[in-house]
Amino acid sequence: MATDTSTDTPTPSDDAPQPGMIKADLLAGLVFIVLGLAIFYGAWTMDRLEVRRINPMTVPGLVPGLLSIALTLCGTILAFRSLRTPAVGGWQQLSGALVSGAAGRALAVMLLALIYTLGLIGTLPFWAATGIFVFAFILVFECWLATPRQPLLRSLPWALGLALVTATVVTLVFERAFLVRLP
Amino acid sequence: MFDGLLLLGGGLAHFLTPLSLFNIAWATLLGIVIGALPGLTATMGVALLVTLTYKMAPDQAILCLMCLYCGAIYGGSRTAILLSIPGTPASAATTLDGHPLALQGKAGTAMGLATTSSALGTVVGIFALALIAPLLAEAALKFGTYEFFWLALFGVVISGQLTAMDDPLKGYIAGILGLLVAMVGMETLHAHQRFTFGIPALGGGVDLIPAMVGAFGFAEILGVMKRSAQARIVSSGDRVIPRLSEIFRYKWTIIRSGLIGTFVGIVPGVGEDVGAWASYAAARRTSKERHLFGKGSQEGLIAAETGNSAVIPGAMIPTLTLALPGSAAAAVLIAAMFIHGIRPGPLLMTENPEFLYQIVAILLFSTIAMLVFGLTLTRPLLTVLSVPRERLMAVVYVLCVVGSFAITQRMFDVWVMVGFGIVGFILREMKYPMAPLVLGIILGDLLDLNLRRGLLLTNGDPSPFFTRPISAVICLVIILTILMSIPAVSTRVRSIFTRGRGDASAQS
Repeated sequence: MATDTSTDTPTPSDDAPQPGMIKADLLAGLVFIVLGLAIFYGAWTMDRLEVRRINPMTVPGLVPGLLSIALTLCGTILAFRSLRTPAVGGWQQLSGALVSGAAGRALAVMLLALIYTLGLIGTLPFWAATGIFVFAFILVFECWLATPRQPLLRSLPWALGLALVTATVVTLVFERAFLVRLP
Repeated sequence: MFDGLLLLGGGLAHFLTPLSLFNIAWATLLGIVIGALPGLTATMGVALLVTLTYKMAPDQAILCLMCLYCGAIYGGSRTAILLSIPGTPASAATTLDGHPLALQGKAGTAMGLATTSSALGTVVGIFALALIAPLLAEAALKFGTYEFFWLALFGVVISGQLTAMDDPLKGYIAGILGLLVAMVGMETLHAHQRFTFGIPALGGGVDLIPAMVGAFGFAEILGVMKRSAQARIVSSGDRVIPRLSEIFRYKWTIIRSGLIGTFVGIVPGVGEDVGAWASYAAARRTSKERHLFGKGSQEGLIAAETGNSAVIPGAMIPTLTLALPGSAAAAVLIAAMFIHGIRPGPLLMTENPEFLYQIVAILLFSTIAMLVFGLTLTRPLLTVLSVPRERLMAVVYVLCVVGSFAITQRMFDVWVMVGFGIVGFILREMKYPMAPLVLGIILGDLLDLNLRRGLLLTNGDPSPFFTRPISAVICLVIILTILMSIPAVSTRVRSIFTRGRGDASAQS
């Protein structure tokens, strides 16, 4: 009888956990345990509304309390499972991932987004904040964090043009067509 | 039966107007473009478009959102075939055979087959929607507070189980986190503020749309920009329109994948990616050309594309009849329906029976538009893929900010979007699925309200939750689902079945 010798199709379940991920699971498990316990405390100390003669089984803290127990349980299983799984070099891999180029790029996006959202919007007119954000985003990722890097003179016209178009179109469409008072 | 046909005819006639046809055309095309661009998902597209449909009539708004949803799920196949990067997670299975076909110089054939099978998958799902939804809506009228509690829990548990294929525990944790987010704000039974920490903006709870734009939009931007490699597009020069014989050869694969996709769609919160993987796995198991799978199998490509597209109408079945979203994008559609004054749920068939058939009509029109655009605009659509992500993602983030702000016009929602984006990105990096998290936010109130209302009705006695027949069945399914996700239990059960089958074959 002929056997199927075809290569296994990579399905999502084929990925074996990496040592770094096992250690990340341990940290996450601990975070979920702390979070679960904190929510349980919040649910337990929540107003039971006795003065309104509310049935104790219908108090507002019932469901958050049950969910916090479930989260603590899941966090404990996750942490315990991670402790039992061998992960040689896991901490090094995890710390390596946190200081990798990919992490740096993600951090750069976060920083730009936070500067735009928390700093520029509200301080400057919306169109100006948006223009500056788009301009900076394109230049940072094309001329600085790209591999290979683009020459500044090639990216500059695109960054400038797209910043102007985005700032104008988004502001006009939302303020004039949809009557949204932008921040 | 005739009432249904009449309502369907009414639905089709309702949208046969120049305005509706124009909306179908641009929304489907926009959906295809969004789906084709890696990093822009169907859910993100629908969430962003919701903010642009406020001023539209409700029927036209839902029409645009549904067309964009269908177009985006299909559009993901372009990138999957040409770049080996799924444009949306739903197209991940398509890359396995679509890209090898493109590398063999059959990119046109692959795109034509993907287009046709997507359309056929949607048609299979549409039949199921028209047949099953009215029956389910009728059955749902018998559901009480106890059943709705279990249904809400079932949605989160099954979504957690199926979307985290590697690790159901992470799916459950994501679901619990979503449910906990839903606990923030004023609860509906006694009007008590929970976990607001004195912040007035939290009194109304966390809005779904900013949370979803963050979890599916900003988190996606972070995920896309994290990568430094730029993919190479495979050119296509062969014929795009497939021969009928090519399609007819795989008729059983199409029917089976369509049915699997529809069933996956009905299961709350699971979504198109699971539909595609399940269809692909079933086709591979039963195929006579199994050796070709993963190396450029037309059958594999057809199965994946039929499966993910059939999920869309399937997902609308629980969405419309139970208000339980069948997929993440359907969750945004529920929010959009509420914004436009349409109440999905068991009462929909009594309050607004024509709406269900309008959805069927929208799906039919969208499928036709998808087929036309897919087969005729293949080459112009390729230019879309050449837009550098550095330029695209900057604009997308601006839309995420404006989209979150536009709903209630307060900066707090933008901060919610940013917060969910960063947390969502970290969770995704650690392989936590986002669908159960979002489903938890949607179903949290349903779960909380029905549990406590049920206990209020019985004066604290929980027994009806376990003794009423439908409740008992759903409760049993939840317990079995959780038990089967424990490796020790599932291995033991599987070994019992394998032993039983071995004994039976030995006896025969």
